[in-house]
Amino acid sequence: MVALEDLKQEAKNVLEGGTVKYIIGYKKPAVGFMAVPAFFHKPEDLDALVWDPTCVHNLVLFLKDEKKKKLGQKEPDERPVGIVVKGCDSRAVNVLLQENYIDRENVYILGVSCGKTGMVDLKKVRKYFKGKIISQIDFNENESFTVTTTEGKVEVPAADIFAVRCTECITASPVIHDVLLGGDSVRTPENPFGSLEEMESKSQGQKWDFWQEQLTKCIRCYACRSICPMCYCDECVVDTINFAVYPDTPAEEKAQKIKWVEKSPTTSENFIYHMVRAIHLAGRCVDCAECERACPMDIPLRFLNKKLEKESKKLFDYDVGYDTEIPSLISSFRDEDPEDFIR
Amino acid sequence: MTEEFEPKIVAFLCKWCSSAGSDLAGVSRMEYPSNVIPIQVLCSGSVSPLYILSAFNKGADGVLVSGCHPGDCHYIKGNYYSRRRIALLKELLNFIGLEPERFKMSWVSAAEGTKYTEVIKEFVDELKPLGAQTKLRRNG
Amino acid sequence: MKKKRIGVFICHCGTNIAGTVDVKKVAEALSKHDGVVHSEDYVYMCSDPGQKRIVEAIKENDLDKVVVSCCSPNLHESTFRNAVKEADKNAFQCEIANIREQCSWVHPNMEEGTDKAIKITKTVVEKVKHNEELEPISVPVTRRALVIGGGISGIQAALDIANSGHEVILVEKSPSIGGHMIQLSETFPTLDCSQCILTPKMVEVSKHEKIKLLTYSEVQEVSGYVGNFKAKILKKPTYVDPDLCTLCDECTKVCPVVVESEFELGLTGRRAIYIPFPQAIPATYILDDTGCPGLLPIACGKCADVCDPGAIDFDQKPEIVEEEIGVIVVATGYDLYDKTNMGEYGYGKIPDVMDGLQFERLCSASGPTNGKIIRPSDLKEPKELVFIQCAGSRDPELHCAYCSKICCMYTSKHAMLYKHHVHDGQAYVFYIDIRSGGKGYEEFVQRTVENDGVLYLRGKVSKVFQDGDKVKVWGVDTLAGKDIEIDADLVVLAMAMRPSEGTEKLAKILKMSLDKDGFFSEAHPKLKPVESVSAGMFIAGAAQAPKDIPEAVAQASGAAAKAIGILSQERLYHSPMVAKVNKHLCTGCRMCVDVCAYDAISIKDGIAEVNEVLCEGCGTCSATCLRAAISVKNSTPYQVHEMINASLGG
Repeated sequence: MVALEDLKQEAKNVLEGGTVKYIIGYKKPAVGFMAVPAFFHKPEDLDALVWDPTCVHNLVLFLKDEKKKKLGQKEPDERPVGIVVKGCDSRAVNVLLQENYIDRENVYILGVSCGKTGMVDLKKVRKYFKGKIISQIDFNENESFTVTTTEGKVEVPAADIFAVRCTECITASPVIHDVLLGGDSVRTPENPFGSLEEMESKSQGQKWDFWQEQLTKCIRCYACRSICPMCYCDECVVDTINFAVYPDTPAEEKAQKIKWVEKSPTTSENFIYHMVRAIHLAGRCVDCAECERACPMDIPLRFLNKKLEKESKKLFDYDVGYDTEIPSLISSFRDEDPEDFIR
Repeated sequence: MTEEFEPKIVAFLCKWCSSAGSDLAGVSRMEYPSNVIPIQVLCSGSVSPLYILSAFNKGADGVLVSGCHPGDCHYIKGNYYSRRRIALLKELLNFIGLEPERFKMSWVSAAEGTKYTEVIKEFVDELKPLGAQTKLRRNG
Repeated sequence: MKKKRIGVFICHCGTNIAGTVDVKKVAEALSKHDGVVHSEDYVYMCSDPGQKRIVEAIKENDLDKVVVSCCSPNLHESTFRNAVKEADKNAFQCEIANIREQCSWVHPNMEEGTDKAIKITKTVVEKVKHNEELEPISVPVTRRALVIGGGISGIQAALDIANSGHEVILVEKSPSIGGHMIQLSETFPTLDCSQCILTPKMVEVSKHEKIKLLTYSEVQEVSGYVGNFKAKILKKPTYVDPDLCTLCDECTKVCPVVVESEFELGLTGRRAIYIPFPQAIPATYILDDTGCPGLLPIACGKCADVCDPGAIDFDQKPEIVEEEIGVIVVATGYDLYDKTNMGEYGYGKIPDVMDGLQFERLCSASGPTNGKIIRPSDLKEPKELVFIQCAGSRDPELHCAYCSKICCMYTSKHAMLYKHHVHDGQAYVFYIDIRSGGKGYEEFVQRTVENDGVLYLRGKVSKVFQDGDKVKVWGVDTLAGKDIEIDADLVVLAMAMRPSEGTEKLAKILKMSLDKDGFFSEAHPKLKPVESVSAGMFIAGAAQAPKDIPEAVAQASGAAAKAIGILSQERLYHSPMVAKVNKHLCTGCRMCVDVCAYDAISIKDGIAEVNEVLCEGCGTCSATCLRAAISVKNSTPYQVHEMINASLGG
């Protein structure tokens, strides 16, 4: 288990010594109990740093902002950014390294292990505690959480309020880090793709009905895209409106705006949008499930990405976010890749 | 009498093998259904998943991607990348509930005029009972 | 931006198109399509008047883009692009809609054919609408050739190219040039002595000032593109300096090691230090380091002790030679089908069953028996000799599906030579068919049958086995309808021809494709028989398919002519339909670099950059890029998008 004091000390060491320019971590929210992302520029601010099962955000997202900010600066501060990452998030760092979006020197990774559990699912917590006011949730040594409410502390079995993705997690500890807190914990879930099975067993008609109901809800707010650390393109191929025009863009090209997807949130367009997103995340998504958490319409978006993660593993034996030196899933092949589907 | 449903098919044919194979079918005067509109691409490796989704979105009842057999790619290995990309897209389309028969990939060499006609005939036969594709069709 | 003015021309192709497509209706429908300002049909667009109509229509209607709906673009694309150029328009503003092979010829129903022809044409109109004006990319030419393989094909190609005044690097993997032809005794249909007609050419190669000969060498790496290849060639150590070696043969007398002779196909042995055959080019002994008892440290060293001129150098190391060349001719030849595959004929188990090449050595005056035909087991003269044709050929179930083409002729020659050596002997030939197409070939076979009394039996052999000192052959004569049993003294198998060992590896190095049987693929089976699909790489001889000597020589000269065609140019032109990067969208993720088969993309300052000369325009990068930051000119995602729309009637 990570001792918060150790994490604070490690963070303080690098911030005080000027090794990093600032640290991206978590702090208590102004309202509620779910931790929020926080940027620590001064060592004394670090007293507010927290690490608990409510630190659901994938902070790797903020490395996108950091990169864009730096690109706009004339003489950018070249020191790395300190960042607190969980096991899943660390694989996102690896994908960004693999895609040369960031350099290893750009980040100082404070790795935190989730131990035997992981992150809570806010919806499950709310349901479990029906209206009680929660002030704090803590990790335990065993597979449970300690939840502090106005009525005192209770120990809750992890399974009851745990995020589904955490039950399928195989990297409870960061795979890349400069310091690792909480030790290296190995997790071998019985069925890392178990949550997909119910969907997969449905008939084509039932599958369609399910997704039609879900994706028709989409209002195309693009929260899923905005929160995704892998969606770092300046312009998204599904957008036709914000294709930037630069001084050197030829007139011909300005006129060539492809409408792969209409803006209006109709069922067909929502399908195309979400499928393009899933395909573009194949071999890149680390199942941080931030898209699903951010979705205001409660669409189970994680399924789409998880399905392709499963197929990448099954068909191509490809694991996402472990090796930064290998070519990406779709920029590589094996002679023995399956082709039984080809006539 | 109701008129039989005639599916609309978009076929992405690579220039060197499948389009040439389709030319051979023509030279050999092999008859096959006229439901397919071919779009010649240089290599099956150049077919982006977006093209396929877009074809369904614009009302295709079926989409075919056809390239050179493994090892025969004019561009050495484009078809291998295509094979991987299309396997993933096929799984995804299946997962969201589109009938798997609607999306096909084939290897047709420049010498396989007969195979090209067989692929088209089979595809049309498989698509007819499914009727029009409305799931991904814009304003469908 | 000026609105595009597109002209559409529908060809009748006589009745080839007009027979099943209502061409008037297609022209009419297209005239209403967005951007089309001129639409007409004509009986033969490719005819001179047809081309003139295009030129005139461009001028009269101020067209800036043209679509010709006709036959496959493989046939007349360049015809019509040249016509467009004649009207002072950019050639890449012309596209072909294939409404013949992909429409009129396969859809007999006029209504369906017409409907499809309209859709196909509209699809191509949408493509041309967004075509850029492009000019071919020009590159300089390195005016030297690399010829791989020093058999008769490679020798011929090298000489032809060298005689045109261009430098040639001739690479041969064995210690001498000459290939299989130098192993042959006589050649059909004239019975010329093979060595007598080949050695003058070998000498010419060795003396030619434009030919650089690298024997005992293998091509290891080839990069670049037509006109500008770079090759890395591994030169294996021979441990003998050819300039010092006087061919005195003292070394072999002291060498304690005997191994099978490759040149004599195991019929006799050679020493670890040896000369492959007396007329070898380069004329030098070599030391085979796998046979030698040891070089590190020197275990024996006797050869060096007796070498007066001091030609032996145990310290020689493998060397990598780098050469820049403009074209490559592949003439890697054939090997015989492996004998382990021919268990049913006892090959490899029964000592008196041999293959055709071994029989050539038996007949050869310079061979291990000095031209006496005797059998390996007891060195007796065989009186009953059975030749089995199609050993491994024409057998799709078990062996090779194809006909090895030369075996009918050489078996006939073998039977004739046998009768010339053993007058009282009897030769039998089991055959499926006799294929003797070629000048003087049929007459040659008839001579074997009629003058030399060789018995031809039409049928296959079911079993060959040792029976005492005889080799029993069970077969069938399908013409007589009888089972045949022959107590043979010697059996000769006309083994199938296979691509030579290492062909697959070389194909990978050259990025050339192989056909289903493993031979190098020609670019077109009829019209481009010496070209490969890779520009600047040509194929000669049996590397492409089984061939006899005259055919191999003809193809070698053909390949040389094609090579000279490139080498005589100052500059070459390359398709300008290459990948282009949108630097605002590129993030430098390298996925395009990973998938490019031509190493045409690199990352400069964090952004992909295309080497237009290396790029072949396949577009795999474009489909891989998640950011739409790279696309191929005149085949952009936007164009495909518009084509999809048009193909679906949108």
